[in-house]
Amino acid sequence: MPGFSSGGVGGGVGGPASAPPRSFRPSRYVPVSAAALFLVGSTSLFFCFTCPWLSDFFSAVIPIYIAVIFLFTLANFCMATFMDPGVFPRAEEDEDKEDDFRAPLYKTVEIKGIQVRMKWCSTCRFYRPPRCSHCSVCDNCVEDFDHHCPWVNNCIGRRNYRYFFLFLISLTTHIIDVFGFGLVYVLHHRQQLDTPHAAVTMAVMCVAGLFFVPVAGLTGFHMVLVARGRTTNEQVTGKFRGGVNPFTNGCMRNISHVLCSSQAPRYVGRLRSPKSVEIQPPFLIPALTEAQLEAKVLDNGIQNDRHSARSKSSLDQIESQSADAEPPPPPKPEMRYPGLPRADTEESSLLTEAPPTPSMYKYRPAYNSPGRNHTALTHPNKMIRVESLDSPSPSIVHSSRQPSYRSEPSSLDGTTVVGGGVGARRGVGERGEGPGGPGGTTGGVLGGMSGYSLTGRSYTSYPSSLVLSMGGSHSSSMRSAHAAHNPLATLQSEGTTDTSYKSLANQTPRNGSLSYDSLLTPSESPEFESAAHELSPHKPHAPFPSVNRTGQLEMVSPSSPLQGYMSPFLSAQLAQQREGQLLQGSATFSSPHRAYLRAVSPPPSSAGLPEAQYLLQHNQDSSSRGPRNPSSSSPGARSLEPPVSPPPRGLSLGKSQTYIGETGPQHKPRPAGGGSVLGGAGAGGGQQAPQFTSRPVLANHTTSKPGGGVKKVTGVGGTTYEISV
Amino acid sequence: MAETHSLQDLQQPGVSSKVFVQRDYSSGTICKFQTKFPSDLESRLDKQQFEETIQTLNNLYAEAEKLGGKSYLEGCLACLTAYTIFLCMETHYEKVLKKITRYIKDQNEKIYAPRGLLLTDPIERGLRVVEITIFEDRSVGSGR
Repeated sequence: MPGFSSGGVGGGVGGPASAPPRSFRPSRYVPVSAAALFLVGSTSLFFCFTCPWLSDFFSAVIPIYIAVIFLFTLANFCMATFMDPGVFPRAEEDEDKEDDFRAPLYKTVEIKGIQVRMKWCSTCRFYRPPRCSHCSVCDNCVEDFDHHCPWVNNCIGRRNYRYFFLFLISLTTHIIDVFGFGLVYVLHHRQQLDTPHAAVTMAVMCVAGLFFVPVAGLTGFHMVLVARGRTTNEQVTGKFRGGVNPFTNGCMRNISHVLCSSQAPRYVGRLRSPKSVEIQPPFLIPALTEAQLEAKVLDNGIQNDRHSARSKSSLDQIESQSADAEPPPPPKPEMRYPGLPRADTEESSLLTEAPPTPSMYKYRPAYNSPGRNHTALTHPNKMIRVESLDSPSPSIVHSSRQPSYRSEPSSLDGTTVVGGGVGARRGVGERGEGPGGPGGTTGGVLGGMSGYSLTGRSYTSYPSSLVLSMGGSHSSSMRSAHAAHNPLATLQSEGTTDTSYKSLANQTPRNGSLSYDSLLTPSESPEFESAAHELSPHKPHAPFPSVNRTGQLEMVSPSSPLQGYMSPFLSAQLAQQREGQLLQGSATFSSPHRAYLRAVSPPPSSAGLPEAQYLLQHNQDSSSRGPRNPSSSSPGARSLEPPVSPPPRGLSLGKSQTYIGETGPQHKPRPAGGGSVLGGAGAGGGQQAPQFTSRPVLANHTTSKPGGGVKKVTGVGGTTYEISV
Repeated sequence: MAETHSLQDLQQPGVSSKVFVQRDYSSGTICKFQTKFPSDLESRLDKQQFEETIQTLNNLYAEAEKLGGKSYLEGCLACLTAYTIFLCMETHYEKVLKKITRYIKDQNEKIYAPRGLLLTDPIERGLRVVEITIFEDRSVGSGR
């Protein structure tokens, strides 16, 4: 079954590019077996016991019709279950050679005017295309990732979404038919209800009735998604809450794209055409134009040097500690949460000497010992600094502060890479991913910057928000592997971390699968709560052990952003605001992380609300009620704008700005201030402000916030998804 | 008289580097590659040529992903036959992919191989990048 995935336990650790060992987990087959059993079993009973009478009493068309619908349902079920969802093959080694160590965690691209972040996948070794996400259950990056469905034990992605959708529709129809005709039978046999036929019919009706509610709910939900051109992942992580979805082409086109497009090709398992071309020197060389010749003469090879210089400088610094496969040690406890209240001296020293964004490592506490990251911490910072020389800091906010955050310059693959932020983003992102709870993401404070924020759609399909929880060390732009797969649990954006590097990210902890649960409760309420407390150091939330562990609330985010996915800008602004407040109080506030932390976690969703309902409510509520916390995100954001716009007032502010810039959607025009960013975000993404309010991850009510356990999220209609955290 | 060949002549030239042409996502998730000419190829290839190749590839992919009557009919037929039609029939996308493979092979033979370059079919990389392999130019040192 295509749904196989290496078990999270031990599966991902140290897995090379080749397929990691797959543990056989029979528990994964329980839902799909149950679903198949119910479907086939109930329908067979219906055919045996009820249909004969129906065909006699009414006509033979009825059983035929029911049979056709049943076969259609079964065919779609099989296709959804067995079809490759659009798995990307692992990138070959030479593809990321240039990106190694210093490559930023995120690359930004502009899609129809909206900045979208592509995250580096440390398992698959490439930057995830937009809408792609890595499924921790299947341990693959899936194109147009929708969700991992336990009922078919497979990911739903580009290739099989259509079949999944048709399966839902046909199953709903089938259930209605069975229930309806069963009811007709029972009503006609009121006096003979003790016969086995009637009893079986009633039993089948019960099963049908029982399944009708969740299935119909899910069907309705997906109908809305198809009409809006969104994936489940995007919906539950609130990426487009502000209303601007760059992937939509209008309702009719979206529907026809789902139903009528040609079957997308498989990427894995293809026959490679033999290389039949012989290449032998001598080779033709194009004639240089005069201009080119001149340029060459004047060039002095400086251009070329740039490329190598960039990598080498940082490479040298980093080589010693990042060259090995081991994750860098987490930064010292004091350095780990730059944003948290702490001794002044440390904070200030950090602020003065280090690049604006503290390096954050995404790593899971389990894998790292606290002492190890010190060097790593400093090194990346240095590297960042070096790097930053190259590029203008595009980041929105931190123009002044973090040149280093610039992500790889555009020369990198030619994609539009939004500078600074990217570097920072990686770190942040990593944090986000990492945490998932147990993961203790290093540098947890990604919080605020939800990948999904605002326009920028930085996506992190992985719960960058999880990073929030984890204290972990801040990996300076290291793409810690740990984070790589954390389940969506917190969809916090990765934005917050400062530079994270691919190298660090490449130790992938894989855990959890993207299920509704994690999607829904990205940042886990605890994160929000902690954020809400704003910087008060006491906040470890039970759900995030990592936070507790660190003892410091790394993510302190302003209360408001807690809800849902906040745009990084907003969070940044809030962070700044908070920083301002805090500065008066505790000196230790440094927020870049904080901004992020805050931003993304969705507020804890009230348990039990079906997502559909929630969505409906929320969409209305979010705008109206604003953030839960006193500092409403929207108003807060707005209010923050002015303070943000001016150059950073203090180190901390600067820092937060930096973070903001980094994590948030990388808007091309990066005004120097959070305000502008926000404005930009607003402009680009419609109204972003409300984004973070609300969004709860709806479904996530049942989340168990485990430190490393499995989170259960209730999805639409009561479907439960498990996310390993 | 024995025919001797220098080892160099017999060997395939070594790979000097690889250039990856990334996807262009400016119009969404449709398959489109960037036409920006990579600097590493400046000494080997004309910009025009490169752009033409990429543009043709983009057009072919657009044709593959087109939502037209053909793909709609294909979908309907698949539904009606409970998807068993996929066992015998090749989908529209696959047909275009074959066309693309032939085009790339053709381009390699005519244009790229003589310049010491090799295009790799992006489908092998999951349609994420077009990989261009640059081979070492050892013609100067062949000694023949």
